[in-house]
Amino acid sequence: MPAPAEDPILEVADMHHAFGGLHAVDGCSFAIARGALAAVIGPNGAGKSTMVNVVSGALPSQRGRIRFDGSDITGWVPHRIARRGLIRTFQISREFGGMTVLENLLVTAPDQPGERLWNALFRPALGRRRDRELVSQALEVLDTFELYSLRDEYARTLSGGQKRLLELARAVMAEPKLLLLDEPMAGVNPALIDRLGRHIQRLNAQGITFVLIEHNLEVVERICDHVVVMAVGRTLATGRMAELRRNPEVVTAYLGGGHLERATG
Amino acid sequence: MLLPPIIYEIATLAVFFCIYNVMTWGLNIQFGAAGILNFTYITFMAIGAYVAAVFSLPPQTPGTGVTYVLGLNWPFPLPQVMGGVAAGALGFVVGLVALKRLRSDYLAIVTLAVGSIIYTFVGNFTQLFSGWDGVVGVPEPINNWINLDLNTYEIFYVVVVLAVMLLAWFFTHRLFASPLGRTMRAVREDGDVAEAFGKNTFRIRMLAMVLGCAYAGVAGALLVGYTGAFSPDGWTVGETFVIWAVLLVGGRGNIVGTMLGCFLIVVVFVEGTRFLPTGFLSPNLVATLRNMVIGGLLILTLRFRPEGILPEPRRHFAEIRKGSPEAERAGAS
Amino acid sequence: MCARVAHFDLRDQSGAPLNLVPLSIGFGLVTASVLALASLGLTLQFGVTNYVNFAYGAFLTLGAYLVWQISSGWGVNFIVAVVIAALCMGVFAVVAERVVMRPFTRRGSALFFLLIVTFGLSLVLDNLIQAIWGPEYQTFSLPSPGPLHLGPFLLTSYQLIVIGVAVVVMVAVHLLLTRTTVGKAMRAMSDDSVLASVSGIDIERITMLTWFLSGFLAAIAGIALAVTTVSFVPAFGDGFLFIIFAAVILGGIGQPYGAMLGALVIGVATEVSAVVIPAQYKGVVAFAILVIVLLLRPQGLIATRGKA
Repeated sequence: MPAPAEDPILEVADMHHAFGGLHAVDGCSFAIARGALAAVIGPNGAGKSTMVNVVSGALPSQRGRIRFDGSDITGWVPHRIARRGLIRTFQISREFGGMTVLENLLVTAPDQPGERLWNALFRPALGRRRDRELVSQALEVLDTFELYSLRDEYARTLSGGQKRLLELARAVMAEPKLLLLDEPMAGVNPALIDRLGRHIQRLNAQGITFVLIEHNLEVVERICDHVVVMAVGRTLATGRMAELRRNPEVVTAYLGGGHLERATG
Repeated sequence: MLLPPIIYEIATLAVFFCIYNVMTWGLNIQFGAAGILNFTYITFMAIGAYVAAVFSLPPQTPGTGVTYVLGLNWPFPLPQVMGGVAAGALGFVVGLVALKRLRSDYLAIVTLAVGSIIYTFVGNFTQLFSGWDGVVGVPEPINNWINLDLNTYEIFYVVVVLAVMLLAWFFTHRLFASPLGRTMRAVREDGDVAEAFGKNTFRIRMLAMVLGCAYAGVAGALLVGYTGAFSPDGWTVGETFVIWAVLLVGGRGNIVGTMLGCFLIVVVFVEGTRFLPTGFLSPNLVATLRNMVIGGLLILTLRFRPEGILPEPRRHFAEIRKGSPEAERAGAS
Repeated sequence: MCARVAHFDLRDQSGAPLNLVPLSIGFGLVTASVLALASLGLTLQFGVTNYVNFAYGAFLTLGAYLVWQISSGWGVNFIVAVVIAALCMGVFAVVAERVVMRPFTRRGSALFFLLIVTFGLSLVLDNLIQAIWGPEYQTFSLPSPGPLHLGPFLLTSYQLIVIGVAVVVMVAVHLLLTRTTVGKAMRAMSDDSVLASVSGIDIERITMLTWFLSGFLAAIAGIALAVTTVSFVPAFGDGFLFIIFAAVILGGIGQPYGAMLGALVIGVATEVSAVVIPAQYKGVVAFAILVIVLLLRPQGLIATRGKA
């Protein structure tokens, strides 16, 4: 596994973001190697969610820089960052409820000429042709996620677990270089955690870099090869989960508000 | 050639039906597809009507008390196109201010405010569109070439309006069925998530806003061509409401649903009740009661059948899976 | 709003000509007072319920018409009529919420349904008012007030009363919010409704009381508006509505002190602007302020996190 310094796909340097007087992120820096299956962990209030929002462009970085895949993306708007290949998901499932499962996947795919007004009105064949490709692609993805039978159901009718799978499937259709998953295992039953974990590993093997924001340390230990620990808005330590468990600073940070010693998060 | 009066009554209903269809499809694009709350939709129709009027009217004659700008006496279809363009442009400006905020109530408030301001402005600034009295004597489209008598022209105009309506139907359908329509719906469902997946939600909303307003403008232009006059009496908040009712009762996101809603509310309710014997009810009271019923109908629809009579169609896609016969054919093409 | 007097040669008691700007500021205070009354009702309700009531203009109108009916129609003393009408509107607002809005909030319907419903309610109410009282202009049969010179200001006694009432109401609301349990509960719900509900606050009761207050203030604002504009018609509350919105948004939606501040700014600005632009376009000034606020600082002067 290449060390982050050699070929980082994501580099966060001295990120700051404060809400009024509250410094949610206070000088956070880390790097993620291309192809890594990484995690960002830390006790509550460490600033992880804010960091995700800043990286994805939803919040501005008030100081510091962010580099992604060779470009400086600091200050970019979210849709531009997403088109560059950095896709993030949200903590609670946010499917497009009024659209079918299949449509949820179709809409996130990039390069659809039918999205341009002129083509939509005067050259519909272009959109239809690309749709045919995307449909077969989406059906494959749905198949691997075992959601094929639900393809024509409205997304809001899915169960909680199915929505989680849909989140990931939909994100995959966006052809991401890096997937930033915000607490993908939160509130998910153990069987589904297993399935999700295996999907993530499979997709990682196909070349997608993953960064998981997670509280479930057992999963992190099982599937992640690189972990960044955040506390009080900064990077505390990085490395493999096993080493971090022995790091006294990390242990102290967690003893304040988390469960580092136990096997599950 | 004079036909029985019932024909002319039907012709009037048909004209209003087509015009309201076009208008409601525009709102359907704004709200049904993109989720934009425009509470002053009628203002864009009014602008379309006024602009079409001043483009088709000859220069103002002093001493008549009717004052307006331009007066270029242009032929069909140019004034109508300009009406659509003007309304679209206004929609663009309003969108610039209001669509950056993602919260629905702010947009609704701004549109309401814009409507109020433009109404006051047009009414008071008489040089623009003759103030509260409005413009009159708008020439009938195309009639300068073919010169029909008034009665035949009424029938002829039905054909004109129907043609525009069919054109609008064609393009609206294409839009809704296209990937752009799908993206609009995604923006409607969850703008933040759409943005996180690479969609420029501001641009998408602006597109829906401008298109919808342009539809309203064209509809207004067609209306003024038929009635020959337009004044601020013709655009009250109640009018915006009728269009919202048509949209929501008929079925938002459904093009045919709009036509159904239009038929029910415009033809049966609004125009149909015009023909009711007034008896002991003054026409004013009938209008007031009618508005109340429409308002009540709207609230009840939202309460018990929010998707409308004909809900948004569920989209199906032809199955093309690897190894299937369709895939072979598609791969070969 | 207040009559424009710029073309007259006004002089104060000593005979020296009056300066137009302080004069307009005086009128501005009257407008600001009416606005403050109206804005408080709207912003308090928004703070607690988290959606805008587009029927609020109709509430103002209905309040004014009720006062007219009770005082001019049934011969009841004017002040008593105002109190009765305000109480009625308070009850009406509670009933309206329960019957019309509650089915949607309970279901967790999307925000835009609620907004359309309140919009629909405004249409129904406007037409109901017109059906009952007719579309013609109405006036109050009150004795004509004489103008009073107060320093650089020239106001009628009614206008002064309106200012006085507004001040009293603002102080009362301030005391309500800071000294009473109900008021503190309202503030808590406005700041963080989730936290408020788990802190043992009776959401139902506070919501009901907030709506009552909203209707009550709407009636008082409505009558104040009607008195200061001399005559009124079924749609007049709606025409004023967006100016109320401007004040509320400028101050920060959901913020009562913001609403007072916003009302002051908009009230004075619109009247002072009448010195240079024709009086009919006063609304444009309010609109311009609204646009500027939305472009530059949409959360308003006093922001609440998560509301804008």
